[in-house]
Order: sequence, then structure tokens, then C-alpha cells
Amino acid sequence: MNCLDFRRQLNIDPHAADTAFAQHHADCARCAEALERSLRFEGSLRRALQIAVSPQLADSILLAQATREQQQRGVRRRNALLALAAGVVLAIGLGVSLRGASSPIAALAVDHLNKEAFVLAMRQGISDDEVRKAFEQSGLSLANVPAGISFVYCCPVGPYSSVHLVMPTSTGPVTVLYLTTPVVAQRETFSREGWRGVSMPVGQGSLVLLGHDAGQFERVEHLWRSALAAPPDAAPTRS
Amino acid sequence: MSSKQRQFEALVRSLSGDLFRYGYWLSGDEALAHDLVQETFLRAWRALDDLRDTAAAKAWLITILRREHARLYERKLPQFSDVDELDIADEHEAHTPEFAGEENVIRKAMRGLDAKYREPLLLQVLGGFSCEEIARELNITPAAVMTQVFRARQKLKVLLSGDEHEAKLHELS
Repeated sequence: MNCLDFRRQLNIDPHAADTAFAQHHADCARCAEALERSLRFEGSLRRALQIAVSPQLADSILLAQATREQQQRGVRRRNALLALAAGVVLAIGLGVSLRGASSPIAALAVDHLNKEAFVLAMRQGISDDEVRKAFEQSGLSLANVPAGISFVYCCPVGPYSSVHLVMPTSTGPVTVLYLTTPVVAQRETFSREGWRGVSMPVGQGSLVLLGHDAGQFERVEHLWRSALAAPPDAAPTRS
Repeated sequence: MSSKQRQFEALVRSLSGDLFRYGYWLSGDEALAHDLVQETFLRAWRALDDLRDTAAAKAWLITILRREHARLYERKLPQFSDVDELDIADEHEAHTPEFAGEENVIRKAMRGLDAKYREPLLLQVLGGFSCEEIARELNITPAAVMTQVFRARQKLKVLLSGDEHEAKLHELS
């Protein structure tokens, strides 16, 4: 290596010295001085480029990342809910009835029943007024009140408003859910988690019956069709 | 905390300072540099599964930052802040008034340096990359990198010494 090569190397990378570079450095006093000057310059260059960095920089990046992640999780959750809701609407709209499977409303009804299974043990009859009041709270009036009701309460079933009733029968209690909106388009029977069920459009809403035994369903359905029917003088209209 | 999150935090804490400095000298503005670094790490988070070799993390992040800079600011020329607005990162023993003056001159000279000279020099001095690695990053030949860092140093030394004649003696041709 000669002096020119040595000086070139100083400007390319003074730290990347090979054997020839080291040998020339040992042999040439002027180039050795040039190396010293170059290394001093490199120190100044390095310090000049080391501008101050905010001590909060890393934390602000991590905060931005956490915030964006949270927002994206929210969007994903909303999209999933929208997809679920769209699926429910589609299934209802098409009147889907699959053998061996149950509709979304069946799942919602059984889920609600399981959560409030304790009311099935109620045997004592309640007054007609209590039943009428529950329907009035939902904006409905009854043509008559079927006999043999042991429980009534206005409950949400999934996203739907409903009147939840229990009617003890000779084959066991029958749960009656009257959804105040037309959730089902046609009659559908189902079996889910040990429960037999039937759902159907009645009046301005949907009637769902659930029990371990379906033997009394026909009678109970008849009672509620009658109660929710719209006779000329006592229509079950929305108040 | 997931292992991915731990890996990400380690990357942020160990490399955000270097990336910020690189972003500053690339964009010429502290606020832009902050945005660039933040966006770089947010993109890195989404693609973290692609990072197989942690030793290559710095080069990977610098590639993301350069692309982000090109995407957002390539039409903007660097508008460097005034000299007085900048601080030195660490108080150093060598920061005598004499050295501090020299560093300010170097900073000023760096700001005036053409981007094609400034960027390879930054990758070498701040990034610690070899000429071959810089060549891969900038998609040019190693010989071109050597020429550019040579000329970058030469220009800076000329500004410091005021002796253009001596610098020209060593210029590559």
C-alpha cells in the first residue's frame, strides 16, 4: 500500500484497517499523523451526528402501538358482531330450517331459559293483572289471559324484548317466550340441550315454547294464539 | 404480555434512538423524524413475524424507515432546524468549546451535503454498516458506496480545514 491508497482508505473507512494498512501506518510517519487526524475527525463526526433523543421517545412509540392495537381490536370485534347480526337477519329472512340444527332464536331462547331455570320450579298461580301488566310494559294488550301461569317477567332474549312466562302442565312446566318483534318468519320445531321447542309467528311478534316434553305444546299454543288474537273489540294492539 | 410484545418492546427500547437520529438526518426535522420512527415501528409490529434474525433487526428497521420516508417525504427537501435548536445527546469529556465548535461546523456541513453523499455516510457512522451492507440497502455497488463516503468525508474535512486543495489531492477518480 502506498501513501495515496492509505489516504483514500482514511476517507472511506478509517476503522476498516487491514494488514497492508497497518504496515504502511508503521512505515510512514506522515500517514500515521494523517490517521491520527482522521480518527479525531471521526470522533467529532460521530458526536456531531448524535443529536439529542427525547427520553420519552420509546414510551410514546409503545403507547401509539398499544392504542392502535386497541382500536383495531375494537374494529375486529365490531365487524364480528356485524357479521353475526347479518347472519341472524339472513337466517330469519330466509326462514332457514336445518335438520339436526337449530335456528339462532332457538339458541337464544334455550340460553335464556338455562340462565333462569329456577323459575321452572314456581308452581303457584299469579294474577291476571300481573300478566296483563307485563304485556302492557311491552306495549301489548291481551284479548284474554290463559289460565295456569306461575311466572311472568319482561326479559331481553339476546337483542330482543320478550315477555317470559311459565305454565306448569301435567307433563312438566312449559316456558313461553313472546318476542315482541317478528323474529321468526315461519313455524319451526327444534331440539337443543335436552329441550324441545317450537317457534312461530303470532300476532305482531313471535311465540316460542320450550319444555322437556312437547306433549302440551299444542294446547299452550292454542291458548296464546287466542290471547294474542285480534278480535274486533279487544285487539292485542300496541298501546 | 405475549412474547411478540416483549420482542417489540425490546426493539423499541434498544433501537428507537438510533432510528430517530437516522430519521432526523434523513428528513432534516425533529418532528418528522419522530413521526417517521413511530410509523416505522408500527409497521414493524405488523410484520414482526417476518423478522427471523434478530441480528438483522436494525437493518430491517432502517429499510422500513427509508421506505416510509420515501413514501411520505420524498418530495420535500430537508429543511434543517437552526443549529441552536439542536443539543448534543450526551455530555462528553471531549466536548470542550473547541470540539463543540467543530461539531457544529460538521452538523452545518452535513445539512448542506447532497443526500447521495449524506445517506451512505450516515449508514456507516450511525448505523455501523459495512460498505457491502450499505450497497445492499441503497441498491448500488460497493464501489459506488466507497466513492460516496470518500467524497462525503472529503467535503466535510474541506469545510473544517478550509483547505480544498489538499482534499482534492485525495479525491477518487
